[in-house]
Amino acid sequence: MPAFISRLFIVFVALSALAACSPGESNVAQGNRDGILHFGNGSEPQGLDPHVVTGVPESKLIDALYEGLTRKNPWTLEPEPGAAARWEFSEDRRVITFYLQPEGRWSNGDPVTADDFVWSWRRALDPAMGNQYAYMLYPVANAEAYATGQITDPEALGVRALDDLTLEVTLTEPTPYFLQLMDHYSSFAVPRATIEKYGKATDRFTQWTRVGNIVTNGPFQLKEWKLNRRIVVEKNPHYWDADTVKLNGVVFYPTENIVSEERMFRVNQLHYTADVPLDKIPGYRAQVDSPFVEAPYLGTYFYLLNTKRAPMDDVRVRLALSMAIDREALTESVLYGSNDPAWSITPPGTLGYQPPQLFSYDPGKARQLLTEAGFPNGEGWPTVELMYNTSESHRKVAVAVQQMWKDVLNITVTLSNQEWKVYLDSVSQMDFQIARRGWIGDYVDPNNFLDMYITDGGNNNTGFSDPVYDELILREAPQALTREERFAIFREAETRLMTQMPILPVYTYASKHLVHPSVHGLPPNLMDFINLKYVTLEAEPLPGNGVQ
Amino acid sequence: MNTVVVDSISAAEQGTSLWTDAWARLRKNRLALFGLWVLVLFSVIALLTPWLAPYAYDAQNLDLGPTPPSAAHWFGTDIFGRDLLTQIMYGGRISLAVGFTATAVALLIGVTWGAIAGYVGGRVDAVMMRLVDILYALPFMIFIVLLMVVFGRNLLLLFLAIGAVEWLTMARIMRGQVQSLRQQEFVEAAISLGLSPTTIVRRHLVPNALGPIIVYTTLTIPSVMLLEAFLSFLGLGVQPPQTSWGLLISYGAETMEEFPWLLIFPGAALTLTLFALNFLGDGLRDALDVRGSGD
Repeated sequence: MPAFISRLFIVFVALSALAACSPGESNVAQGNRDGILHFGNGSEPQGLDPHVVTGVPESKLIDALYEGLTRKNPWTLEPEPGAAARWEFSEDRRVITFYLQPEGRWSNGDPVTADDFVWSWRRALDPAMGNQYAYMLYPVANAEAYATGQITDPEALGVRALDDLTLEVTLTEPTPYFLQLMDHYSSFAVPRATIEKYGKATDRFTQWTRVGNIVTNGPFQLKEWKLNRRIVVEKNPHYWDADTVKLNGVVFYPTENIVSEERMFRVNQLHYTADVPLDKIPGYRAQVDSPFVEAPYLGTYFYLLNTKRAPMDDVRVRLALSMAIDREALTESVLYGSNDPAWSITPPGTLGYQPPQLFSYDPGKARQLLTEAGFPNGEGWPTVELMYNTSESHRKVAVAVQQMWKDVLNITVTLSNQEWKVYLDSVSQMDFQIARRGWIGDYVDPNNFLDMYITDGGNNNTGFSDPVYDELILREAPQALTREERFAIFREAETRLMTQMPILPVYTYASKHLVHPSVHGLPPNLMDFINLKYVTLEAEPLPGNGVQ
Repeated sequence: MNTVVVDSISAAEQGTSLWTDAWARLRKNRLALFGLWVLVLFSVIALLTPWLAPYAYDAQNLDLGPTPPSAAHWFGTDIFGRDLLTQIMYGGRISLAVGFTATAVALLIGVTWGAIAGYVGGRVDAVMMRLVDILYALPFMIFIVLLMVVFGRNLLLLFLAIGAVEWLTMARIMRGQVQSLRQQEFVEAAISLGLSPTTIVRRHLVPNALGPIIVYTTLTIPSVMLLEAFLSFLGLGVQPPQTSWGLLISYGAETMEEFPWLLIFPGAALTLTLFALNFLGDGLRDALDVRGSGD
């Protein structure tokens, strides 16, 4: 009987118990004193191998642990020295020479060498690795051919070490955003000796990323990993720029439930939250000196349609579903006006690029299209399931969309939610009919959104395939001489994409966080990018009670 | 005089007056009657919800949004502008159905299992109870999740799955009761009269063990309702736009500062049911406790 009562109790009180004050000092007060940042990270990461993972929670951890050749400045988003101290472009901008930090060290004290990058890039591109982000390195000469198995000689890749500290990268085309890619984790160096100690280079999820095994080259190193509880990183004494790093450590909390995350923040258990519950936004906006920080975010929230399964294999059904969503009503009410409706995959205004808007909310047209597809007034509509990863905001959007489809098209779509890792698996295996998806820009360029939908692209996940589209994105756009010409090609490609509607754009992201006033060096930016190296904690005169 | 007494005893042994008797005693217990009527009322409302509900349960009004209770919406509306009263009525259907069905399943398996183990004893008992121990050791969530994965999401299956994990405690209580009862004289008398074991268990042991079982049953029903909410929250139970009290409460709890009515009303519905069940359970135990009332 006691066991059963406690179970009953757990169901209801677990979340609030999580947030309840521990006796004595709060995390924030303690953290401010000891230089430990308590960071809400949203979800338990899929892993810590930069060539395996794909999500945003993972990227926050990997950015703390590793460092690419360049690193974005969080204020300007311009690349600044990372593992490379400086770099030079050739005349035709097809060859880049990176000069690595002479003091660059792994967390075990070994030097970071140009060979590390050569080996790592070969690993990232190896087809056996199954890296969904391999295409991020496709601008490198022969990278695509190697990643797709057309050539097998890794020597042919356009990356080589001239000496221990000099790395030469040859590109197929001059790629304007290439330096930004060097800040993406698929281009990071991984520790060869450690990986080979625990398995083959291309083995996924081996023991090398465990505490005690993992070796990294970033400002922090892994100290503790308690599944679903916390991941603790501490300052890496071997980091080349260790003097700049002010924090002694960061504790990442995988709090999937953003409501309990917000409660943790309020009782000073967190310095920073990954998100803010929608219903709390009006209240926080109204506060004076609010900890609420919102900023435009380079990302699109959309639904993936599996074009390989009926009835979504019919373009008319896809268009009908899209036209039946009243995006304005959705963003105004459910999202409290914090986001703009999205009509295409690319967020508007990415470097001045404007995506096409080919349709609008049009119930009549939607019904007509559905009738043409053989479902007059929803008759004969099969069982269709919309899948989303467990989150209160995704549920709200899904419930609203579900009802719009019912009202406009008279069709029933069931909902199901999955835990983050299961969800990522289902999406990458295309084991869904409709799935919620968000895409956050890895670098500021429309290409980052559009090259997802090349045939069999690792993050395509819809079955969409159009040779003309592939040609535009992979061949024509990189050869464009001016930005106008390049954007015109993108627009043409995006028009083709949205005519086929393999995805239903819903809204454009905005980043929303609660940030404790003692935290400095976390500026809001379009990429929601954080460089923990610059973060400092300055306790206020009266610590521990920063937020009511 | 003597004959009258003999008559009433023989009537008691026919087993019919146990219930008549109990009913008479229950009727004197006001709290228990209140509980009974609340449950009857809720069940009738649940059955008639499709005709009684003021709105369609999935009708959204995004422009309206969350509004506090008003004349048009007695219990207010949720963030989609859906009528909360309607939601609670439909949620009650699921919650009550899950509560009663799963508990009935647990009751059936648990009582039978426990009674057999307790009555037969010896090696049979040892094997049966070890099996219960093993099932106890299995994390119940994994068991339900497995069932859901193998058989797919299905409301009836959810009922059965929850029942299938909730019967263990019931079996233990029953076994303990039966073990202590079978030492008593009236069972020995029944054995010496030549009654079959099945009749003894059914006629003499189960009715005498009813007290603790009923109390435990009234506790199981609300816990099952909460379990359903938990499973639904994980994506294994009821999915939107269908709802249940447990789900309404867990959603309401998320926004209790902004929209308190979203928590208060579903919470009140569940609490009222829980109280009603407990009052009724207490009353039934007193009413059915043959020994307690005899003295």
